[in-house]
Amino acid sequence: MTRTRLSSQPLRHLQDRIATALITAGGIGVLLAVLGIGVFLVWEAAPLLLSEELGSLSMLTPLAWGTLKAALIALLFALPLALGAAAYSAFFMSPRLRSRIKPTLEMMEAIPGVVVGFIAGMVLAPWVERHLASTLVVLLWLPLSAGLAGLLWHLATRRWQRRLPLSWAALWLIPWLIAMFFLALWLTPLAEQALWGGDLRHYLYDAFGLDYVTRNALIVGLAMGFAVIPSVYSLAEDALNEVPRPLMEGAQALGASRWQAVTKVALAAAGPGLFSAVMIGAGRAVGETMIVLMASSNTALLSASPFEGMRTMAAAIAIELPEAAAGGITYRMLVLAALVLFLFTFFVNTLAEVVRQRLRRRYQRMGSGA
Amino acid sequence: MTWLKNAMQQGVWPWLCAGSVAISLLMLGALLALLLTRGLGHFWPAGLDEITLNNGEVVAGEAVREMPLPDQTGSERLYFTGNRDLDDARWRWVAIDTIARQTQPADLLRLERRAWGDFIGYLEAVEVNGERFTGDDAWQQVQQALALPTAQRTHYQLTLRTPQGQTLRQSLATVINVEAPNAMHLGQKLRAWGSEVWQFLSQGPRAANTGGGVWPAIFGTMLMVIVMSVIVTPFGVLAAIYLNEIAHQGPLTRLVRIGVRNLAGVPSIVYGVFGLGVFVYGIGGSLDEWFFDDALPSPTFGTGGLLWASLTLALLTLPVVIVATEEGLARIPEAQREGAVALGATRLEMLTRVVLPMAMPAMLTGVILAVARAAGEVAPLMLVGVAKLAPQMPLDGEFPYLHLERKFMHLGYHLFDTAFHGEDVQAAIPLVYATALLLVLIVLVLNLTAILLRHHLRRQRGSEC
Amino acid sequence: MLASRHVDHANQAPVTLFPAEQCCLTIDRFSLAYAGKSALQELTLQVPRHRVTAFIGPSGCGKSTLLRAINRLHDLNESVSHSGDITLEGHNIHAADMKVTELRRRVGMVFQTPNPFPMSIYENVAFGLRLQKRLAKRQRDDVIEWALTSAALWDEVKDRLHRSAWQLSGGQQQRLVIARTLAVQPDVLLLDEPASALDPISTLKIEELIRNLKSQLTLVLVTHNMQQAARVSDYTAFLQQGELVEYGPTDHVFTNPRLQRTENYITGRMA
Repeated sequence: MTRTRLSSQPLRHLQDRIATALITAGGIGVLLAVLGIGVFLVWEAAPLLLSEELGSLSMLTPLAWGTLKAALIALLFALPLALGAAAYSAFFMSPRLRSRIKPTLEMMEAIPGVVVGFIAGMVLAPWVERHLASTLVVLLWLPLSAGLAGLLWHLATRRWQRRLPLSWAALWLIPWLIAMFFLALWLTPLAEQALWGGDLRHYLYDAFGLDYVTRNALIVGLAMGFAVIPSVYSLAEDALNEVPRPLMEGAQALGASRWQAVTKVALAAAGPGLFSAVMIGAGRAVGETMIVLMASSNTALLSASPFEGMRTMAAAIAIELPEAAAGGITYRMLVLAALVLFLFTFFVNTLAEVVRQRLRRRYQRMGSGA
Repeated sequence: MTWLKNAMQQGVWPWLCAGSVAISLLMLGALLALLLTRGLGHFWPAGLDEITLNNGEVVAGEAVREMPLPDQTGSERLYFTGNRDLDDARWRWVAIDTIARQTQPADLLRLERRAWGDFIGYLEAVEVNGERFTGDDAWQQVQQALALPTAQRTHYQLTLRTPQGQTLRQSLATVINVEAPNAMHLGQKLRAWGSEVWQFLSQGPRAANTGGGVWPAIFGTMLMVIVMSVIVTPFGVLAAIYLNEIAHQGPLTRLVRIGVRNLAGVPSIVYGVFGLGVFVYGIGGSLDEWFFDDALPSPTFGTGGLLWASLTLALLTLPVVIVATEEGLARIPEAQREGAVALGATRLEMLTRVVLPMAMPAMLTGVILAVARAAGEVAPLMLVGVAKLAPQMPLDGEFPYLHLERKFMHLGYHLFDTAFHGEDVQAAIPLVYATALLLVLIVLVLNLTAILLRHHLRRQRGSEC
Repeated sequence: MLASRHVDHANQAPVTLFPAEQCCLTIDRFSLAYAGKSALQELTLQVPRHRVTAFIGPSGCGKSTLLRAINRLHDLNESVSHSGDITLEGHNIHAADMKVTELRRRVGMVFQTPNPFPMSIYENVAFGLRLQKRLAKRQRDDVIEWALTSAALWDEVKDRLHRSAWQLSGGQQQRLVIARTLAVQPDVLLLDEPASALDPISTLKIEELIRNLKSQLTLVLVTHNMQQAARVSDYTAFLQQGELVEYGPTDHVFTNPRLQRTENYITGRMA
């Protein structure tokens, strides 16, 4: 075999240098374009803030209130469910079940808002209007009945406890909850008859002067809660699952029960992670557009009642911006609303991300220290 | 007290948490079950009832649902009766108590018509070129004629009779389909169901979205998503390569990375505002002034359209692609890069021949996730370019074939519009269910593909290390 | 031209190891630091052509760092600074007219863990060739067969050249990586603990391969395995904390080290 000297080709190096320059330019360009969203919003909204017409800002008040109200009700509904589910699947669920349930619940996030909004506005809202008392009872009764199942399980014999282990409880509870749901539906009208003269809505109106609108904040909260649950669950579960196991075992070795180890040690250790999960959930709830558009009556009100509608900033943008003249006051107002949404979510997400990274470093130290 | 404490800690609280999982699963299951049954059930040829009321009145139609009577005991039933051209109503509530007799006559027909919606009633006779058929012969003639193209059906004149006894003459050319659901056996019903589903997927909407299909919306969604992918893939990959392979890994890069990640959490409507302000009013407005000033003041690019919608969604999904690609790049062992470089490869050669092929599945995952997100996103599209009913498809035989400035239909927006702004929402609802089911299926299948791809990728990596 | 010398830290007197015209690589007062932290200090040594030179020393002594410096792999890392010269056949490797890609073609490198690319066996060996020059398929096939034969792998893989390289065993993968490097006909082959991830039989095959390759090119071997260094190398350099402690013919270093430090390390490891 003869050794031929291979020539080096200057073309290759030229290509490399050009490509590197292109990638750098393109990469920086894309990043600038993406980050330019904030710049654009400030640019468009600034004339309004600098002008004399600051008084028209009051137009935003009901929108801000509606946004807060919708997000609060959604979080009120979603957080207990998402965090409870996260705690259960991180600490109690059998690994085999967890490997199926977690992706399933995360899939919930993929369901488009427009579909959730449609179901909420066209199916849930009329149903709740007809069964208001039952709905409220079900909202309270379902969690209680899950606790009741736990109490019964605690009282049951060892044999039954082994047959229906806690690690698969999420499955055992499904038929139980369905049964309890229908029990509540069956019993509530009787109670309604006895307590509130047959119709809770009339009673609320007569006794408290509360109006009831078909598509109201309660419906929005339920639907948006449904949309928020998966992201909060997923992040919270990750945070809890990353709690170093020796930490939990240490607590249990000191005589704490498993539940105490969860609440006293794991929740404290994963606290920042849970916080960032809640923040992400809040960010989603504030910006969700289609659900609010379809499940609320879109009237800009300043009412605290969960049975009345509202209009959120996101919904107002979707409805009014296409009709607003470019550069007009309404246009700038709505861009300002978008800027507020942008800043809020960006701030909240950054906070969540920073907290999460700090937590991860803390776990790594704990892991290496153990 | 300790007993109670134990019971709470060992039984109640853990099961309460388990209940959260169960409730979430139940809600998801209920939603999917509702969409599946309503969405697919609509196409099933339902039986037709003919009822005689206590006062002698006759009503015929498809039973839709029952509700308790307001402020009374007993319940009432909603019938779809069709025949809007004759009695100006399509729906009829009937109190159950008032029904004297109920039958399902085998010869009761349902005609799907091009105008006025469905007809429910009986076939009296068919006239073909002056020849008149009645009874079973008429039915046979109609069956044969339905296989013919529309133009040849004009010779067929149907004489129809409503259950109330009115007669109506109708040309077969205006009829899309005739069926006698009460006389069908299971196989026929299945076949009819299949053809209805196919029509839904392949035809355009009819009769103010209460009939027909969603093909233009499917097509518009697909086209928008494809244009978007063409834009987002190269730019997302470029940015990811820059961030991961070229940029100095200092605090600034870390900051930018967090920023990009967070943009994924910014509400989609904000991107819509950006798209409207920058693409439509800014760039589109300028384009109109420079190139399309003869068409002004009616805008060409200065209004929402396919291109602006795709661009806006590309921006919206950019973080998804960047994050997924970066994850894929970070997973490639440094040894592979060093191996290539040690053989004398330049950075470009190392990237194109070793790194990018290895990161391909991750990029694909990112693009699929981006497509899934874009397919389900509606809010920004309301600002930058969907139409209720687009008169022209954005892709046709006319030069330049792909009309990026045109408005287009989108499944998600079609759903929203039909459900909330339709004329006869009651009649359109079953189709909305079907549309919702289709949309959910598309998005779930895309997500599942991405998950499986990612899973496959991780397993492959894991086995080789 | 001066005779090849080695500056001994103990007596600072140059020791002649081999004639200057046999010198392939010269490292002259080379220092290197990571982000200000010194990793190599004022290293000076010469590597003879067509011989196997082993770098030994405790982990973290800088032997791998030195190897990577010869291939300029530190170029990718911005926090690395260096001073002093490394010359390959009389050319300074940091000179402006020395293209780094050409340097890396002439100085092949094999890493601790086998890193075949996710392609077929054939494509792995062809990788470096395709970068350099367009060859007719016939010619390329010849080079690939020659490279795989030189790496003692041809007989094992000739029937499955187009199968994925990841299906090979660890030892085969490492020999494939050597073949891939040989295909571009380098002058020097740097081996960074090439057998540390392999089983004993594969290790023996690699060692035999290293001894056979001597006739074609210059080899530099970094290893933490004393027996291996003793078995395959002609010259041995002992490094400690970024400094060269002792350098000489392998027989001398192992049987009769001049310094106590060297002896301690070698005997401690061998016991």
